[in-house]
Amino acid sequence: MRAVDLTVAQGSWFGFIGANGSGKTSLLRALAGRLPFAGGSCRVGGEELVGDRAARALRFGFAPPPDKLPDSLRGRDVLEFTGGKMEEVRSRMGSLYVALGVAPLLDRWIGDCSAGMRQRIAIAAAFAGGHSLVILDEPFNWLDPVAAFDLRRALRERVDGGLTLMTALHDLNTLAAACDAGLMFADGKVAMTLSEDMLQTAARTPQAFERQMIDILRSETGG
Amino acid sequence: MGASETRRDRLFHHDWRIAVNSARATFAGWQDRLIAGTMLLIAMTVVRSWFTDPPWRIAAWVALGAGIVVGMVAGRLVAARLRFHGSDGLLAAEALQSLTRRRYMAASHGAGIAVLAATTLIARPSLLIISAPAYLAGAFAVHMITNLARPVPAIRKARPGWTVRRWLRQPGAGIVAAMILLLSLLWANTLGTNALIAVVGIEVILLALTLTLVDDSVVRFMTIAGHGARAIVLHHAQSLLPFTGLAVPICLVAFGPVAAGIVAAASIATLLLLAARVLAYRLYGKRFADLLVSIHAGVLLLAGYAAPIALPFVAIAILWQLQRRGAAKTWLLA
Repeated sequence: MRAVDLTVAQGSWFGFIGANGSGKTSLLRALAGRLPFAGGSCRVGGEELVGDRAARALRFGFAPPPDKLPDSLRGRDVLEFTGGKMEEVRSRMGSLYVALGVAPLLDRWIGDCSAGMRQRIAIAAAFAGGHSLVILDEPFNWLDPVAAFDLRRALRERVDGGLTLMTALHDLNTLAAACDAGLMFADGKVAMTLSEDMLQTAARTPQAFERQMIDILRSETGG
Repeated sequence: MGASETRRDRLFHHDWRIAVNSARATFAGWQDRLIAGTMLLIAMTVVRSWFTDPPWRIAAWVALGAGIVVGMVAGRLVAARLRFHGSDGLLAAEALQSLTRRRYMAASHGAGIAVLAATTLIARPSLLIISAPAYLAGAFAVHMITNLARPVPAIRKARPGWTVRRWLRQPGAGIVAAMILLLSLLWANTLGTNALIAVVGIEVILLALTLTLVDDSVVRFMTIAGHGARAIVLHHAQSLLPFTGLAVPICLVAFGPVAAGIVAAASIATLLLLAARVLAYRLYGKRFADLLVSIHAGVLLLAGYAAPIALPFVAIAILWQLQRRGAAKTWLLA
């Protein structure tokens, strides 16, 4: 990633979109302390944390890669390790607990879970600790349409309630309908900054927005 | 997680829980526990006889070497786990803090050294003053090397290993390996029969193992994408099969039935090992699967030594059991 400059407003949903390999995941992982930054500045709540991975990992709730969840733990173990007692996790998650269908997964071994079930547990883990800043990398992957709809609605409720959410997305319609602001990446650089006004317009005319974004992506990536 | 458990200890408890759950799942049946207990007993008896018979000085050198190797392996394992926790684990915040890292390392090496000490006490108690410091020296050396090594960004890394691994799975690699074997046997044949048998034995095992490298992530991906165990084994045996198909008949014609028999036996053994690893990777993570396959290999060696006629039945039973457990893992995409 090069020359990325962004500010995420508190209590908003910020979306990252771009071609495969454009650097979305790397940036999100670095923000969450899972990778080091090569340089630059990263201020969280006014505090400079660019050189402190541990502090960034403490600040952000982060969904681990679903395929890296340990097979030999149950859903309950994952949430208790990340969030403490199950009753506390349940209360912190609020409507997400139902939207993600966590209850039936609690006593299931991760090794026996499908990709969609793993994804639900990984997202739940990001919220189990009660963080007010959460990062999710492509949270709607593997989810069935009902689960994706419920999750999108529950996330929006949380954002409206004060959560600051950053997500990488592949779906332009979700970006337009759910996010408050965003960035489009191409080849490790910012191809376009998406303001709140632009996304509001995009939500009203999704097809035109999609056409415009695809044209930009094609021109930036030479596709 | 218990109420008294502090945040600082969660890393070690996390891994401990995984280890205990994996062990419980693996040894769920009384037959599994019986086999494991018997194997452990035999292994301890063998280790004791190895260390009790020779003079103390020689045993001490062996204990020193073994302690250093065990310490280095444990050190690498602990470093790898900390890297995983910090990048992809559930408890990254803890894994990135120096205090919790140190506590994790202390607890992990405490467990490692306890196992080594128990083994040493059974083998020859007086060697404890050698094995324990050797373990610590090995673990410390790895710790220093790990801290000094600068991580290379993934995007800048050359991947020659991946290219070689990929080529080794091509049928052409098996044909090349068969040619290498046959050319070297032509040379070894001039040294006499004993040299020929020694060369064919060592070389065929090395070549067959090289041709059957198994990537656990590939096995996992193929499993969730709907490939059955047989298809995955065949995918990984694409170079071994032409190797065996060429090397056995040519060895039979050129060097006689003994050499051909060794090539055939080694190829079959490697294929069995490959199948066991594939089946185990469908079920468990790499490290635990490797441990499990090692235990099974030990059972097979024991069976081959005690009752050779039972060997094929034991091998089939082991593979069948792994296959039965892993069948439910296919198609877990959505």
